[in-house]
Amino acid sequence: MNPLIFTTILMTVLLGTMIVMMSSHWLMIWIGFEMNLLAIIPILMKKYNPRTMEASTKYFLTQATASMLLMMAIIINLMHSGQWTITKIFNPTASIIMTSALAMKLGLTPFHFWVPEVTQGISLTSGLILLTWQKLAPMSILYQISPSINLNILLTMAVLSILVGGWGGLNQTQLRKIMAYSSIAHMGWMTAVLVYNPTLTMLNMLIYIMMTLTMFMLFIHSSSTTTLSLSHTWNKTPLTTTLILITLLSMGGLPPLSGFMPKWMIIQELTKNSSIILPTLMAIMALLNLYFYMRLTYSTSLTMFPSTNNMKMKWQFETKRITLLPPLIVMSSLLLPLTPMLSILD
Amino acid sequence: MMTYIVFILSVIFVVSFVGFSSKPSPIYGGLVLIVSGGVGCGIIMNFGGSFLGLMVFLIYLGGMLVVFGYTTAMATEQYPEVWVSNTTVMGVFLLGLLMEVMLVLYVLKSEEVGVVFKFSGVGDWAIYDTGDSGVFSEEIMGVAALYSYGAWVVIVTGWSLLVGVLVILEVTRGG
Repeated sequence: MNPLIFTTILMTVLLGTMIVMMSSHWLMIWIGFEMNLLAIIPILMKKYNPRTMEASTKYFLTQATASMLLMMAIIINLMHSGQWTITKIFNPTASIIMTSALAMKLGLTPFHFWVPEVTQGISLTSGLILLTWQKLAPMSILYQISPSINLNILLTMAVLSILVGGWGGLNQTQLRKIMAYSSIAHMGWMTAVLVYNPTLTMLNMLIYIMMTLTMFMLFIHSSSTTTLSLSHTWNKTPLTTTLILITLLSMGGLPPLSGFMPKWMIIQELTKNSSIILPTLMAIMALLNLYFYMRLTYSTSLTMFPSTNNMKMKWQFETKRITLLPPLIVMSSLLLPLTPMLSILD
Repeated sequence: MMTYIVFILSVIFVVSFVGFSSKPSPIYGGLVLIVSGGVGCGIIMNFGGSFLGLMVFLIYLGGMLVVFGYTTAMATEQYPEVWVSNTTVMGVFLLGLLMEVMLVLYVLKSEEVGVVFKFSGVGDWAIYDTGDSGVFSEEIMGVAALYSYGAWVVIVTGWSLLVGVLVILEVTRGG
């Protein structure tokens, strides 16, 4: 793609999310979502083959439906309150419709079906933008309307997302689908605590983005999209196998790595609000996630995975430049002692 | 009948939307889109927005729909689908029509319709002379405010349209 056009379109994706996060008028928020959706389509279609076109079409259809539902909720809110400001939603029907629309945009169950298929069909860099940057805008709106969200619906969607994210990722060997199911599960954790303490949602979003960025950059560095291809990194850069191990265990939520911080805080906040069964269930279902991360570490770092002799030397062109990989790795594994600092997110 | 003109126009509006969302060939979709555009213009004009109704006819029907019609005419097939040619299309159209008829009967018969918000019968759709908007008309003032207080909206929508064109060119250009 022409570099000037590519820069313009990328800046428009950023501008769309910024407009969503900064606006106080519901119509501008909707315009921001549409601008974001429109501009990310050519980024998803960077490589021009039928897979990416199909993935971009699926993404466009689901997100456009979600925007239509959002607009309907905005108009119902307008009819009941007579104003366009984002304070709280004045009607339970509008609140439910808006929560469903934002859940469709985030990829929460039962609207999660597009996430693995779209993530699989696009390149690794586009998948990175899809799974990290695109989650910021809907989550910011959920944060702003969090006092008016129906608790039953949101908690049901959150728990089902953690379940689907764990169970669905078990049978996958394609790395992009694994990251997609991991994203579904993490979105479930984030929305579970949204009504109780929205600061923890923001904390979880921060840590999740850092860990996902790290994982994707390690995948891009070794140009691997399958488990088999990832298991050959010991041949290319042996150090990255250790880094993959640490980051994957952090994503699974193991102490003393920083991925443990959001899970710990969320479980603590939920138990403070006298719900015991829910965080127990969530913690148990996070083990499913941990299982397939550990399977990846087993084949990548802990064993030299068996392969035929002619596959042992990995073909590489020039080394890809990975921006900011060392700071990202440090941040996604060593942030746990800094937990008291999360009060700055208030 | 004249007091309930907005209700009648809204029924024709919904029926033409059913007409094109049951997906006949795009040429026929464009046909009912013209009808729905004209009817929508009538609805807006009944609320006093003569300028906006004119905008609908000029820009929407006379600009965008003409371009759509020309591009569809270039890409059309030999036997385009009508509403009665395909069982699926006819079924969906009749289903939408049936739902609209049932809704209209519900509104006409019952005292109060409470779907998401409450209408008290057909009388809610009638236009009365409400209040005193002074010597100026409100919707032209709204358009004027768009270009003064709402400059940010103009910038954002203008940028969205420009990026829309860039995106479409990128997507259709391909590799």
